[in-house]
Amino acid sequence: MAEHYNRDSEPTTRTLLRRVLDTADTRTPRRRRSARIGAQKALLETPSSRRLSTPTKMNVRRGSHRARSIGRLAHVHTSGNLEEQTPRTLLKNIILTDPESSIMTPKSVVKPVPTPQVVRSSRQESSRGSLELQLPELEPPTTLALGLLAPGRKKQRLRLSVFQQEMDQELPLSQEPRGNASASSLTSSLSLTFATPLQPQSVQRPGLARRPPTRRAVDVGAFLQDLRETSLALASPDTVLEDTQPFSQPLVGHSPSVYHSLPFLSHTEAENAERAVSRRTQSSGSRLQNHNPGKPAQLLAGKAKKIDVLAVSLPNNSSAISGEDRVEPLQNGVGEEAEERMEESLSVSEVMGSTGTQGSVRTEKSKGHGEMTEALEAKEPEGSSEDEDISGRTASPELASSTTEFLQARQPQFLEPAPPPTTTVLSLEPLEPLPTRHPPRARTHGSRPRQDPHKTGLSHYVKLFSFYAKMPMEKKALEMVEKCLDKYFQHLCDDLEVFSAHAGRKTVRPEDLELLMRRQGLVNDQVSLHVLVERHLPLEYRQLLIPCAFSGNSVFPAQ
Amino acid sequence: MKYFAFLLQRLKAAVHYTVGCLCEEVASDREMPFSKQTIAAISELTFRQCETFAKDLEMFARHAKRSTINTEDVKLLARRSNSLLKYITEKNEELTQFNTEQKTKKKKKLEDDNTKSVAVAAAAGKDDS
Repeated sequence: MAEHYNRDSEPTTRTLLRRVLDTADTRTPRRRRSARIGAQKALLETPSSRRLSTPTKMNVRRGSHRARSIGRLAHVHTSGNLEEQTPRTLLKNIILTDPESSIMTPKSVVKPVPTPQVVRSSRQESSRGSLELQLPELEPPTTLALGLLAPGRKKQRLRLSVFQQEMDQELPLSQEPRGNASASSLTSSLSLTFATPLQPQSVQRPGLARRPPTRRAVDVGAFLQDLRETSLALASPDTVLEDTQPFSQPLVGHSPSVYHSLPFLSHTEAENAERAVSRRTQSSGSRLQNHNPGKPAQLLAGKAKKIDVLAVSLPNNSSAISGEDRVEPLQNGVGEEAEERMEESLSVSEVMGSTGTQGSVRTEKSKGHGEMTEALEAKEPEGSSEDEDISGRTASPELASSTTEFLQARQPQFLEPAPPPTTTVLSLEPLEPLPTRHPPRARTHGSRPRQDPHKTGLSHYVKLFSFYAKMPMEKKALEMVEKCLDKYFQHLCDDLEVFSAHAGRKTVRPEDLELLMRRQGLVNDQVSLHVLVERHLPLEYRQLLIPCAFSGNSVFPAQ
Repeated sequence: MKYFAFLLQRLKAAVHYTVGCLCEEVASDREMPFSKQTIAAISELTFRQCETFAKDLEMFARHAKRSTINTEDVKLLARRSNSLLKYITEKNEELTQFNTEQKTKKKKKLEDDNTKSVAVAAAAGKDDS
């Protein structure tokens, strides 16, 4: 009884359904019935403080239900295990149980006018005890809820009634002989589902009351037109591929980039700087609109014979440029030389440009981001800040520098197609440094100073730090934090290396990390590594770390 | 339990005494006396650090799948401070040298003994025969 009272005070779906089925159960010729009826009475006699006015109504209604309901309800096959059921199974039972129509005199309702329609229509259809129960339970919140709720609820009930009326109109035509029994049961159950979610949220938290979505008729013509426009703008699988990239620019950025790319072929190299400027502004996003009117105008004025070339090279350019756009905003410290070189190489490739091979190369490059880090170690990126990356790469398996690797890798991709077409290059100067750098590429990595890439990779952590500090921080302080993080990670990796060597291994394994954490004090006799993994890591990593037994006598990960 | 606590106490006292002696040496060297609290703090610190060292050494040995603590474990422990690491490696080399020397000495001794005994036996045999 106590738990009934508790359930009463919590108007959740589950409790409502429970109440429904409690009343429904009374129909079954089982010895539980008396207990149920007794429980029901208890339920009725222990109303929550909210339902002050309605318990009498509920009593009356339930009495009438009970009187009427004994002869009903053919199969409640799962009524025995109702206690263990979920709302889903309860609903299923409701749907399955055969509702019979009954004539009920509508009681005087506190609800506004539209709602009696709902009540009446529902009663006409099936009017199983459950339904009526639901609706009266909707009443008390309206009486007690704020004025804000009432209009919203009216609207909702209006829609409900409209829907039900439509259902009524449609169904009797198709299923008259059945007396709207099963279909109406569906609708009743559907209306039930509509009814129940409304109440709990709005009663408990009026602010969370969901408004019904405003539905406008879809303008097919406008939709198709939009489709056509976007397909024109994109028109290449490469941009679609790149849209899945983590740092991909929004579509607004893409389409102007496409427009920007088209005039490239028409311009000579002398306008590279201008293009660079335009691209930079585009990537910064601030002066997009200024350039856009210029470029499309040029595009319109552009020559028709170049359109074929443009169309072929569009994928190249869009991929290159969009990639570059991504790189640029992310890497603020990239030297201008690098950018110019990249642009010139791009322009070179564009001039070469209509060959499909290049396009395939580019697409491969844009696809193969995953292999970038491996490819990086063979390539040598340009630019000052990137030089130290390679040395740091092998020594730093940290995620901190992985982002920089990702960024660095994008640039070499664009440089690689530049060296191959060295034959008919318009500007040989930017490419000459590239061939000269090829021999240094084969050099070992460890000789370069390691400072910069770590710090550029650590900026992410520094930002996190400044976020969690919740206070404004001086730049010098942030720099110091960066240095400390750098040292910390260096120490960490040195330790891991030494530990693995101590165990006679060449690869770092989780045991080494556990040893490190033990030394740090994070793992001790009370707290094991698995506990920490469960606490802090997401499920995907947990699956990889903690061996779990699966069916078929297999353990993953294998030990 | 009580005995264990008593042993701990004795150990701590021993450490404290040793630290005190060392501090006296340093004080006489630099001509600056040490206060008692300082000596107590240093001794407490060394004691706790020794506990940590012991646990770490055991962990390292277990990590290398051994049941005895090795000089390798000790070197791993001391890797942070370069001077200490150097010192330890030097000492280690000295010790190994010493050990090898001792081994050679022992071998020589053994051989000598053997030869002597053989000679004695031979002599005895000769005498006998």
